[in-house]
Amino acid sequence: MAAEVVERTPVARPSAGRHTVALFASELHLVFGRARTWVLLAVLAAVPILIGVAIKLSGSSGDAEGFLGQVAGNGFFLVVASLALSLPFFLPTAVTVISGESLAGEASLGTLRNLITAPAGRSRLLAAKMVALALFCLAATMTIWVSGLIVGIVLFPVGDVVLLSGTTVSLADGLFRALGIALLIATSLLGLAGIGLFVSSLTSTPLAAMAATFCAFIVFGILGAIPQIHVIHPWLLMYGWTSFADLLRDPPYWHEIGRNLLMQGAYLAVFYAAAWARLTSRDVNG
Amino acid sequence: MTTEPTSAHPAKPADPAAVEHGETQPAAKAPAIGAGETQPAAKAPAIGAGETQSAAKAPAIAAGGWSGSGAPIVTAGLTKRFRSGQVAVDAIDLEVPAGSIFGFLGPNGSGKTTTIRMLLGLIAPTSGSVELLGEPMPKAQLSVLPRVGALVEGPAFYPFWTGQANLLRFDAADRTADPRTRKARAGHALERVGLSNAAGKKVRNYSLGMRQRLAIAVALMQPRDLLVLDEPTNGLDPQGTREVRSLIRELANDGTTIFTSTHLLAEVEQLCTHAAVMSRGRLLRQSTMTELRSELRPRLVVRTPDLQQAERTLTGLGVTDVKRTDEFVDGDPGELPIDKLAAALVAADVRIHGFGIERPSLEDAFVALTGEGFDVAE
Amino acid sequence: MVPVTAVAVVAGVGALGPVVADASPDLPGITAQDLLAKVQTAKVDGLSGTVTSSTDLGLPAIPGLGADAAKFTDLLTGKHTARVAFAAPDKARISVIDQMAERTVTTDGKTAWVYDSSRREATKLALPAHPGKPEVAPEKQAYDPQAVAKQFLAAIDPSTKVEVSGTEKVAGRDAYKLRLIPKTDKTTVGSVTLAIDSKTWIPLEVTVMPRTGKDPAVQLGFSSVSFSTPDSSTFSFTPPKGVKVTEQKLPTARHIEPKGLPKPNATKPGAKPGMVKPGMGMADRDKPTVVGKAWESVLVLRGAKLPADVGPLGQLLAKARTVQGTWGSGKILTTKMVSALITDDGRVFVGLVTPDTLEAAAAKAPR
Repeated sequence: MAAEVVERTPVARPSAGRHTVALFASELHLVFGRARTWVLLAVLAAVPILIGVAIKLSGSSGDAEGFLGQVAGNGFFLVVASLALSLPFFLPTAVTVISGESLAGEASLGTLRNLITAPAGRSRLLAAKMVALALFCLAATMTIWVSGLIVGIVLFPVGDVVLLSGTTVSLADGLFRALGIALLIATSLLGLAGIGLFVSSLTSTPLAAMAATFCAFIVFGILGAIPQIHVIHPWLLMYGWTSFADLLRDPPYWHEIGRNLLMQGAYLAVFYAAAWARLTSRDVNG
Repeated sequence: MTTEPTSAHPAKPADPAAVEHGETQPAAKAPAIGAGETQPAAKAPAIGAGETQSAAKAPAIAAGGWSGSGAPIVTAGLTKRFRSGQVAVDAIDLEVPAGSIFGFLGPNGSGKTTTIRMLLGLIAPTSGSVELLGEPMPKAQLSVLPRVGALVEGPAFYPFWTGQANLLRFDAADRTADPRTRKARAGHALERVGLSNAAGKKVRNYSLGMRQRLAIAVALMQPRDLLVLDEPTNGLDPQGTREVRSLIRELANDGTTIFTSTHLLAEVEQLCTHAAVMSRGRLLRQSTMTELRSELRPRLVVRTPDLQQAERTLTGLGVTDVKRTDEFVDGDPGELPIDKLAAALVAADVRIHGFGIERPSLEDAFVALTGEGFDVAE
Repeated sequence: MVPVTAVAVVAGVGALGPVVADASPDLPGITAQDLLAKVQTAKVDGLSGTVTSSTDLGLPAIPGLGADAAKFTDLLTGKHTARVAFAAPDKARISVIDQMAERTVTTDGKTAWVYDSSRREATKLALPAHPGKPEVAPEKQAYDPQAVAKQFLAAIDPSTKVEVSGTEKVAGRDAYKLRLIPKTDKTTVGSVTLAIDSKTWIPLEVTVMPRTGKDPAVQLGFSSVSFSTPDSSTFSFTPPKGVKVTEQKLPTARHIEPKGLPKPNATKPGAKPGMVKPGMGMADRDKPTVVGKAWESVLVLRGAKLPADVGPLGQLLAKARTVQGTWGSGKILTTKMVSALITDDGRVFVGLVTPDTLEAAAAKAPR
């Protein structure tokens, strides 16, 4: 009897190459291709508009102290004031929504199993999620930066910038510093993004992930407001968030900025590692 | 490439399925039920035969990874116990021969999907092992899974994206997929499942059947060695079901091994070359369809008011397994000539209202096997 | 394991980092007198750096004080950071780094500016020509540093033990620790330690430890320092556009704070115990007097009106312990560093002393 052979070449594509970045690009498409993301960015873009119009209508900055008080005199400060005012609530909320959605959203749609069997590789999928989150943080602060600048120029006189130290620098220098501030604030949000990513890896309900992440944020806020535990304050997530203003000193005061970056890095490292451990061992049942 | 001579397994011909194999043409051309044994005898994992293991593990000859010489899916003692303590899959030893269309049959909740999740590395087995295309899972998933098309527990998509965008995303997740051909491959896959016209529609607006087709399209984005399909015709209308089945046959003809779970017996009957039966987490049976069929012996059914007389006569003539109901008597006539039996009944003054041979369905066999009913709709 | 490792690494870096940096340097031994003599001769042409202060006098938080008072008490509690720069002989700049704001005092020797970024107010002070110079520099050289050191030690010997208590790293520099320990137990001060740079002999840090407790009551020192002379533009100030400028003339130059070397003590607010009770309604005409010597000194203020039993301060006093003696009766407030006795006849005794010492002072003090 002749050997009955199924003549068949396996479809293995060993030399098909390694198109690793495709998933990252696809992830960006997923985050920035959604109406929800654009609604969030639109809300952030509205912050400078609201502040600018309010100040314009009231005719002056009143007795407001700090950056807000300088807006009427120099539209440049609308950029900084908007960033500063968005930091305690709007930006963390936006990051919470996107980060809570990241893995839990895939799990709830069931697409997580498609990605894993694709195979995306769980570690690489997590990395792609985190990169997309980081870029969202940057997009969020840059949205405020751009919106603040446009509204500032339209509504107010714009000119040389007075730094906190009383030194006057050119508008270009000021805008460059404000760009640095946008970057720093985006980086400041990474710790929260890491927490959100981790929480998101725990559940298949995006809303629960968002709520839990926001709760964590609130708890940090409450802990930071209790004077009796001031010894732990320097280790809280948001302790160094206001350090971005140190870029507006002459010369910039780097110490707190550096410390904040290290803190965010530490929070991110811990929660990213936790998310990794969770995702790589998780039973994907959804 | 397989070059195993059948002579390496001289013991095989004892297995009726194996005999048939030996006479089968290079299978790909005969997808019809029962005749579709697409692999040489050496790889037929005949049911319950212990020695088939050794056959499956014959050394691969060709260089360069899996070459089709081993069974594409082999599990050993595969078990999943959930945290609740429930044992969803209980020590199953599956062996899916290359080139087969393997029906993974079982009622809902019998552990089919859990098994498939373990096969694909979605969940970790509590114990036991999985080998996919000759490599251990989930360890080798990054190198194996690009060659496996999968549809697990119903279609899952981004509803806010178009069908095409969904395909592109899942293809992008596979780093071996060439981005330059991605759009063309997506177009081709959509065409194969008949979704070309809906490619630009948001999945939110797809019917369940369309989603099911799209899920199959995901599996078709690349040429695959193995397709693992969990209830592929679920939610399809009869026309769609027919299309999907013929698509599966077509793919099998191209040489792709197909592992498809279903709770529909008809599907297995019409489509599969092999079947395995799951019930309550246990693998009750796996075999070729031919063998399963051969075990279904025809039964003689006699409708008569003289039930006791008929029963006595048939038993006396050597009919085995005679059973009496309120309306008829039936039994296994074996090799007995049917016309003689009829004459004998008449001679015994049995008034015959009906007389005939009935072939039991697979369903009867499986119900007998599992003690559970199947959804036989369609 | 990975998250555990990540936590361990992060915690390790957080906990061990400072420990490694604070390792005591090896320096040749030195006597207290020699060290004091070196401090006398210390002379730098300029420096710049960052000073941090943390003050924990154990003062209760008093909500509801006015904004100005809050600004003041703010400096008495918590942590503060300031950037300082100095260039010989009379240029100096101190910028207190506030959250999203900055308070700057700068002088180029002729003019001093005070700028508050949050209020956008600048104050210009014209200084008399060369006010401080003859006071400091020539005098310093007229003395023999060793003799001065010896005299100083002799003078404080009855009340204070002075020792070189070791070495430490401050702002990345090797420093000797000079410790002053009160010999009396009537003060709340446990010790005062100065960290003195081993190369320039400039004090880099001062730490005040309370008699009880492990945490410093006051710690003020450089967190980074450079001894290169800052550019003269550092000390100039041009009032920015849109800023309200007030001009002031000083009658004398004696009390200008930012003059001369901005020694850590220069910004130490807690050093003036008489001012820890702002808003007391103290009458200016009654000059404060001091009762007792050295560590047991008690500041006496007269004519203080006890606030009514409303408001936060009233509540604070209502809870305070009432004491009686031959001197009358009053309320006593104590914190871990500062004690205050407010008598019913309107006298206030304040000092870095135990409450008993305050009562004794009240008995001795003239009415």
